[in-house]
Amino acid sequence: MQLDQMEPIVKKFYQGLEEGKLYGRRCLECGAVEFPPHLACNACGYHATEWCEVSGHGHLIDFTLPGPQNDKPYLREVGKYAYGAVELDEGPAYTYVIFGITKKKAKDIRARLIAGVKVGVHSKIIDRPGYKELCFELD
Amino acid sequence: MVKLGKNMRSVSIVGVGCTPFKDFEDHPETQGIGEGEAFGYAALEAIADAGLEPRDVDFFYHGAANPYLINDCITPNMQVADWFGMRAKASVHHSEACCTGYVALEQAVMAVASGTYDVVLSGAVDLASTLPVEHMPSHVRQDFPLEVMIPSLDKIYDRAYGRPLDGAFGVSFDNWINEYSMIYDLDADKIDDALNGLTKSLRRGAVANPLAYYETTVEQDAAEMGFDSADEYLKSMYNPKVTQYLRVTGFEKKCDGAAAIVVMPTEKAKAMGVPHTPIEVLGTGASAVEAGLVHNEHWATEVAAKQVYELTGVSPDEIDLFMCNDFFLASEICSAEECGYIPRGEAWKYAIEGRTAFDGDKPINPHGGRCNFGHAHGASGIADIYEAVKQMRGEAGATQMAKVPRTTFLRGFGGSQNVRCQILRTVE
Ligand SMILES: [Zn+2]
Repeated sequence: MQLDQMEPIVKKFYQGLEEGKLYGRRCLECGAVEFPPHLACNACGYHATEWCEVSGHGHLIDFTLPGPQNDKPYLREVGKYAYGAVELDEGPAYTYVIFGITKKKAKDIRARLIAGVKVGVHSKIIDRPGYKELCFELD
Repeated sequence: MVKLGKNMRSVSIVGVGCTPFKDFEDHPETQGIGEGEAFGYAALEAIADAGLEPRDVDFFYHGAANPYLINDCITPNMQVADWFGMRAKASVHHSEACCTGYVALEQAVMAVASGTYDVVLSGAVDLASTLPVEHMPSHVRQDFPLEVMIPSLDKIYDRAYGRPLDGAFGVSFDNWINEYSMIYDLDADKIDDALNGLTKSLRRGAVANPLAYYETTVEQDAAEMGFDSADEYLKSMYNPKVTQYLRVTGFEKKCDGAAAIVVMPTEKAKAMGVPHTPIEVLGTGASAVEAGLVHNEHWATEVAAKQVYELTGVSPDEIDLFMCNDFFLASEICSAEECGYIPRGEAWKYAIEGRTAFDGDKPINPHGGRCNFGHAHGASGIADIYEAVKQMRGEAGATQMAKVPRTTFLRGFGGSQNVRCQILRTVE
């Protein structure tokens, strides 16, 4: 590997968040999107991917509410939240902070998920000391 | 899925050792014991159990979950060898957090199966109740406050995305039991009853086991606090929920401990006539899925379980005993079903009915598991193997299963998250 064949992936991801852009990597063989981005494709095991942008829209797979053990006060300052799994419209799934899920709403959202109803979410970028954090919120 | 190959030769566990899992500073017999001595005691017990002397051991593995913080060292294998007569022999250190002890078995088996070594010791130690003191001899310990413990846990999560995006840590505690509760449409009370059922069973096992951390049953604790029943106490403000599903009793009991095993070729064990029936390691399925990924524990357990069943040809209905890293207690319910030990959708009921206790018909963790036997992080997996081997020999004392198990399934888990699924079988 030579210098001109390398570039920082994580840095570009977080720089993208500064500009409100969500950078992923698309597999050059199967077309799957790695998001958050890595070097190779984890969907098919092919070695090469290229930069792409994702929309930031997706749907909730499931969620759990924080308790004293995993509550983060700096997230609560932004709003009521849960931790959840999100599948983006482009396909990749990962876990994030989901704003807009209150204890009150949780039962209904869970019932909709069990019933197979799509619960839409979109990206919400929040400030953290020294970087921007990608979260999601209910549509 | 990776298809596993057969070992070049069969390998069996011939010796096991395990220290008590306690707060060593609380007991006059162990106060001041450091990592080297603790590892040494467990190793010497395992070697003697195999009818050997340290001179007979060719190589050893050293495991610890977090040696830089908890052992104040970065090459722990170098620092324990002399404690059990292994000076100048080869060794290596490995660290997979709470999965360390299961990786310890996998690696030791591979070292012998390959033909490189004949007799290998694999041990692990973590003194997790207290912390060492920098620049002081190893017998000097200090408190390990939550202010130091909690931030250190963060370090097991992915530094690029899992940690900075807050998903990995956030979902890790509850994601599998939440998925389970959605599949079977179980409300929070049913899950709570199931987890409290497990606690009562596991604590009974722990209290009857002299190596375990706890010395009082939940019923005794309840009476002490003025409650009429264990259930009332378990659901009280004295045992609050600290995540959506887990109460304080659903989390590991951090403690000190060390454990070790000795493995050798099965044929050599038979030819030598080792003191105890050899326990063959039929195989290890392995997977690692990072905590930020969706349903990571479920995903990795599914992969590893399928692998080991395919490799060994064992059928789930042949499993007599299920051991499982349960530092998040709900793991027992989900993984026992995923590994085919209990029918799907039923484990939560088994838990409520006490059927998973050491004296039930589907025992899980007869020694009490991570929340009740105690959790000395890296060492805990080997403590599970120790318990499995003792059960399979019929030497488990007060918590011996009525039917001596012939086949045991181990579901190791830890380190955000490595998974190992291993099947042990008594050599006839
Ligand atoms: Zn691909």
